[in-house]
Amino acid sequence: MQRPGYAAPAHSPPLHHPVPQHVSSVPQLRSPPPPVPPSQPASGYGYAQQPQGGPSGPAGGGGGSYMHPAFGGFMNDSTAQMGVQFGKTAMMAGQEYVEQNLNRFINVSAIKHYFNVSNSYVVNKLWIVLFPWRHRPWSRQQRLSNNGQEGYYLPPREDINSPDMYIPMMALVTYILLSTLLAGLRGAFTPDLLGYTATSAFTVVLLELLTLKLGTYLLSISSSSQLLDLVAYSGYKFVGVILTLFLSETFNRTSLGTGIGGTGGWIGWVVFLYCFGANAFFLLRSLRYVLLPDQGSSVGAVGGAAASYTVARSQRSRRTQFLFVYSYVVQFAFMFWLSAGTGAEGGKGAEKV
Amino acid sequence: MLFFGLGGLFYVSVLLINAVAILSEDRFLARIGWTTAADPGFGGARDDASIKARMINLISSVRTLMRIPLIGINTLIILYEILVP
Repeated sequence: MQRPGYAAPAHSPPLHHPVPQHVSSVPQLRSPPPPVPPSQPASGYGYAQQPQGGPSGPAGGGGGSYMHPAFGGFMNDSTAQMGVQFGKTAMMAGQEYVEQNLNRFINVSAIKHYFNVSNSYVVNKLWIVLFPWRHRPWSRQQRLSNNGQEGYYLPPREDINSPDMYIPMMALVTYILLSTLLAGLRGAFTPDLLGYTATSAFTVVLLELLTLKLGTYLLSISSSSQLLDLVAYSGYKFVGVILTLFLSETFNRTSLGTGIGGTGGWIGWVVFLYCFGANAFFLLRSLRYVLLPDQGSSVGAVGGAAASYTVARSQRSRRTQFLFVYSYVVQFAFMFWLSAGTGAEGGKGAEKV
Repeated sequence: MLFFGLGGLFYVSVLLINAVAILSEDRFLARIGWTTAADPGFGGARDDASIKARMINLISSVRTLMRIPLIGINTLIILYEILVP
């Protein structure tokens, strides 16, 4: 059974029982060695092919030397191959199980819709968030689906007005890192400052969501937008906050303004007020289609028509008031808290513990 | 990392929900007139659309729902404050 010219490894005894001739399709866990003769599918299985004579022996031995010798000796056992097959099936079954359960909790396809962005979309959206006055059509575009469902919104890749989660998530992370960096430059860095900033940012998002939900419930607005839309809209303010922090810190360092960082100094205040105004305008225009659905597009007209009959004029004015109050007052409070709260949070948290 | 500064906020929210839960229905809310309408009109639409009715609904549902879990949460917080220095 020994092939001529093949040097058996010291700890791998030559096998005398017949080995299966078929080639198993278990993928190799290591990269296959480059010079593999075409008669062998993988170099590890070269040992199992008995009819291959002398020419394949040295090639198999040479190919086996690329891998760990125990690996080659392990793979030609039929029970080991069965074990590998079993392991592979078990792993795939476990993966399917995890995916199924995860899909029950998090709607993965809905999240994927929000991350379907392109480069030009990101640039244009940032432009709109910071300079919302030039943007003309604010309504989200819908398209009637082919399989009989109601109209669904176009993904952010094709519709500039569609909210995405990419910019808010990136802006959130950048905000956390930037405020921690500025605290470090100021000399007040502790490692739990990261946690405090993250917590306060998430708290702001949560509070905004609660406010919006409470508002829609109290004013009996039957909005057809999803929860993630509102999260995305509330995440756009981080862009303005980042800009405020960065510009005020830069200019304060070059002694163009007075006071410490954040919104201290007049240039910090100017940038902050501008970003706040831009964000409020952006939210006003965007949330108009969420909070005042009877002025929306015509695809949702079946539900919208029924709702608009019961909406009195006082209700509409109340809703508009709520929108205004939310966009301006609430956002002002939140943005101020975010852009000025880094030093205060660290101190307050430290003495609490 | 995420839950570090959230303790104060959690305490504040628990206190607020406690405040809503201990509002007495007949001693306090009836005096103000914030009780739910016992006999809804059968012919027309309910008065549910006004803000006041929905707020009353919200308060009564919070009371009904959160009274018993709040006992547990309050006990946990008291134990935590006593035992952890």
